[in-house]
Amino acid sequence: MRDRILILSVLIVASCGLGYELISSALASYLLGDSILQFSSVIGCYLFAMGIGSWLSKYVKDEDVLNRFIDVEMLVALLGGVSAAALFLVFAWLSAPFRAALYAAVFIIGLMVGMEIPLVMRIFNQRKAEFREIVSRVLTFDYLGALAVSLVFPLLLAPRLGLLRTSFLFGMLNAGVALWTTWLFRSEVRRPGERAMRCAVILCLLTLGFGYSGKMTTWAEKGLYGDEVIHAETTPYQRLAITRWHDDMRLYINGNLQFSSRDEHRYHESLVHPGLGALPWARNVLVLGGGDGLAVREILKYQHIEHITLVDLDPAMTGLFQRSAPLIALNHNALNDPRVTVINDDAGRWLESHAEVYDFIVVDFPDPSNFGLGRLYSVPVYHLMTRHLAENGYMVIQSTSPYFAPRSFWSIDATLKESGLHTWPYHTYVPSFGDWGFILAGKRPDYDIPAQPTVETRYLDSTTMKELFHFPADMPALAMPPNRLNEQSLVRYFDEDWRQVIR
Amino acid sequence: MRRRSFLIGAATAAAAGLAGYHRTRITEVPANVTYPGMQVGHLLRDGVALPSPGVTRQHDVVILGAGISGLSCAWKLAREGYKRFVVVQGPEFGGNAAGGYDDDLAYPLGAHYLPLPSLESTHVREMLADFGIILDGATTARPYYDESILAHAPQERLYRNGRWEDGLLPMTGLPQSDQAQHRRFIAYTERLREARGQDGRKVFAIPLVLSSLDPAWRALDRLTFEQWLEREQYTSSALRWYLDYCMRDDYGAGIATVSAWAGLHYFASRDGHAANAADAAVLTWPDGLAPLTYMMRDAITRHLGHADWLLPGSAARVTEHRTGSDVLCIKDTASVYTIRASRVVCAMPLFVAQHLLPEIRDYGYDPASHASPHAAWLVSNFHMKSYPGEAEGEPLAWDNVVYQGKALGYVVSTHQLLRVARSPRTVFSAYQALSRLSPAQARNWLTQATPALLRTESSADLLAVYGEDLWRHVYRLDITVRGHAMATPTPGYLNNAGLHALRDVDGPILFAHADLSGYSVFEEAAWWGIQAARKIVGI
Repeated sequence: MRDRILILSVLIVASCGLGYELISSALASYLLGDSILQFSSVIGCYLFAMGIGSWLSKYVKDEDVLNRFIDVEMLVALLGGVSAAALFLVFAWLSAPFRAALYAAVFIIGLMVGMEIPLVMRIFNQRKAEFREIVSRVLTFDYLGALAVSLVFPLLLAPRLGLLRTSFLFGMLNAGVALWTTWLFRSEVRRPGERAMRCAVILCLLTLGFGYSGKMTTWAEKGLYGDEVIHAETTPYQRLAITRWHDDMRLYINGNLQFSSRDEHRYHESLVHPGLGALPWARNVLVLGGGDGLAVREILKYQHIEHITLVDLDPAMTGLFQRSAPLIALNHNALNDPRVTVINDDAGRWLESHAEVYDFIVVDFPDPSNFGLGRLYSVPVYHLMTRHLAENGYMVIQSTSPYFAPRSFWSIDATLKESGLHTWPYHTYVPSFGDWGFILAGKRPDYDIPAQPTVETRYLDSTTMKELFHFPADMPALAMPPNRLNEQSLVRYFDEDWRQVIR
Repeated sequence: MRRRSFLIGAATAAAAGLAGYHRTRITEVPANVTYPGMQVGHLLRDGVALPSPGVTRQHDVVILGAGISGLSCAWKLAREGYKRFVVVQGPEFGGNAAGGYDDDLAYPLGAHYLPLPSLESTHVREMLADFGIILDGATTARPYYDESILAHAPQERLYRNGRWEDGLLPMTGLPQSDQAQHRRFIAYTERLREARGQDGRKVFAIPLVLSSLDPAWRALDRLTFEQWLEREQYTSSALRWYLDYCMRDDYGAGIATVSAWAGLHYFASRDGHAANAADAAVLTWPDGLAPLTYMMRDAITRHLGHADWLLPGSAARVTEHRTGSDVLCIKDTASVYTIRASRVVCAMPLFVAQHLLPEIRDYGYDPASHASPHAAWLVSNFHMKSYPGEAEGEPLAWDNVVYQGKALGYVVSTHQLLRVARSPRTVFSAYQALSRLSPAQARNWLTQATPALLRTESSADLLAVYGEDLWRHVYRLDITVRGHAMATPTPGYLNNAGLHALRDVDGPILFAHADLSGYSVFEEAAWWGIQAARKIVGI
């Protein structure tokens, strides 16, 4: 009887062992992307640790085997059970040491799990079972447990319970085995009462965790974005996260909001139409940055545009907006349009190494928040862009907020003028951003605000189009020096301006 | 086995295993060491028998050396419409301004920056305007530069007490009296920039020969910089470290060795301004000053209409005749040719020229008494596949210096690239003047040093900043050993009669090299090259 129950433990222990491995791999690929790498490296690390665990098991003395097996079960229950939750919190709140924490957790759990089967075999051995019987029975149930979990985990547990709750559940099972074994062998186990108490405490803790994991997930993700994360990915260049709350989809890059699907049309219509609406003859358009395809969506509305070249650094970003169904719905599949060529290259290098001329250039670079990005708002870079701009064309530059960061905005304007361009600064109100600014620039000295948009728009009409170019009395134009590469005063302005706004 | 000891043992074993694995991933890459010019230079020194000459070529002018002096001379000749010259390259195109290349990365093998030229440096301004680096106002006090060439912010930072600070002269965490000394020194050198001698010339000018001859000021050349600091009661150790660093960086020797006049010249002569940059701005490229050598080469080829003016090989012997000179050139060990020319420009260091011209004493220059000491340098390029973690404070700058460090810090070659994301790979170029040894000791040490020892020497500052973790990011290390990199201006160098004599030589043989000024910077090298060209075309 006892032997049968013990063999049932093997089944559970094996299931849980594989379970932690799958949870860690899934969590790693969910948080870090590149699932092939995450799965193979986690499984490799886990199996290797199991090997070490098996080897270490020989140091357990024969008279201690049963006690140690129960201890190992308790440890696996505790560490394995909380592992997913702990890793998730580490990722949300301290993103740097995540990989180290992941592999450390996988290694320690693997080490403990690796000791389980050798110890169980020795327990059977002490009970005078025949060796060939032991091996065949233990291993049969070991592999059977593995099969069970490998099917239940992806089909039932992960989708229904989620990773955190599943991991707590496996922990509870391990703790259950420990408790059960203690009770079963209470006559042979040393200090059975104490052990049973510990098992119970662990079981309680894990049950509590199981109950609150829903809250924990929301808390961790809210710590990051405030909303439910529907896609998160760390690329070599940036961390992308897409969140959803009701019908509001948001893209964050490195934790900074890029757009909200509720009002992005205001931003992108204002970015594109004042300039392109004044170029009814335009054929060729260049978009720098803007890998979300939302500016491209606006440009594609003009039938006379024959070709759009989009240069964005990150293939993961453009790929996401070419493949994900809700995001394609947002950009109207713009990046897969036959008129669009997507190039994944550094815009600086691409501008240096190409010579094509464009009728309209959209520059949607990140804000000048550090010295690396600040140099994109400089005379040499604008000279480089000017070489690609048709004599009669315009370019438009996303230029931060003239309300919150007025010195930055007008410094960008001064930099464009310094590079020999005529400028027409304007701004629009985007609820999720606040008042946001753009600067239209051209080699030609003239610009007439289009009387009304010639394509279908949700926000712009003849009145709002005119108002874009009006700066009210509390947002006066400032006389700022241009952003010199040698000093990069723009980066300082941007930092100081925003520090006054953000608490 | 007790449970507790078992658990502790298992945890320790796991931790040790992980730590050991982490540690084993640190592998120091082997260093590729090059010694430009050493082989041919030492052959000449040792008076090795030269093979008999093969073909003889005839030219009006032959310039020996394609460093900054030789190229400047050729550029000026071509610019003045003079076409009947050739240049014998010597061991290394660009010399101390050479650059290195690996796939898409460019990095310096020598000098890496040029300060904004002052008003006296008309020759440099003319050159920069010709190359489109000065876009406007080349003759004005504040020319308008191509901004992409000016060192981008953040230009420099200092690693001190485990933190990166802005600027190289420490101003915080020091006694009030030290800070006051720092301000006093800065204010004093700023006044010196305007100072003029009795003869009305600027006291400290670049080129050096345009400086005032006022004996009151030149008396400073009798002291070492350290003696002058002592006399003027500059005792702050932070200031002295900073000044010592500047001297080692520009002269290859510290304040105890260099002349006080040279020390002040460093601070007072560089008073160039730009219309579109701060006063302390410098011109730099990813490959240091190498692009200037390419621009000169291309301009010469454009003026001449062909590229045959640049000949391979090194000059080995100059023999004077009544009608001109014969220059014996070694292309490689097997192939030798002779150039017969009416004028020869020796655009090479004087310690090389003395072996080519056995009769150099006839020109008033006696190597035994007139030769300047030449400091030995290491330029070490650490090719990085990723960036090591940075300490607190200022972010990675173009020039990164370690306070009281063993070497001269490192520059980041990709800093000047205009990119959305920082370059995935980069090169850290670490500079080291072996000034803790005398030049002779340093060269002796260099001839014995194994690549591993050179690697230890060249990585001192980087290891101080990043620790052993550095090696996780390095995939290649190239060390350029320049045993006689630059002349050091020791007390008395202003009145070196041998140098004065060679500057004035105007006959079949001409001399053109920064050595004539007694210290080694681009402006002086270019000045003497252009002076030689002026003598040739008679302007």
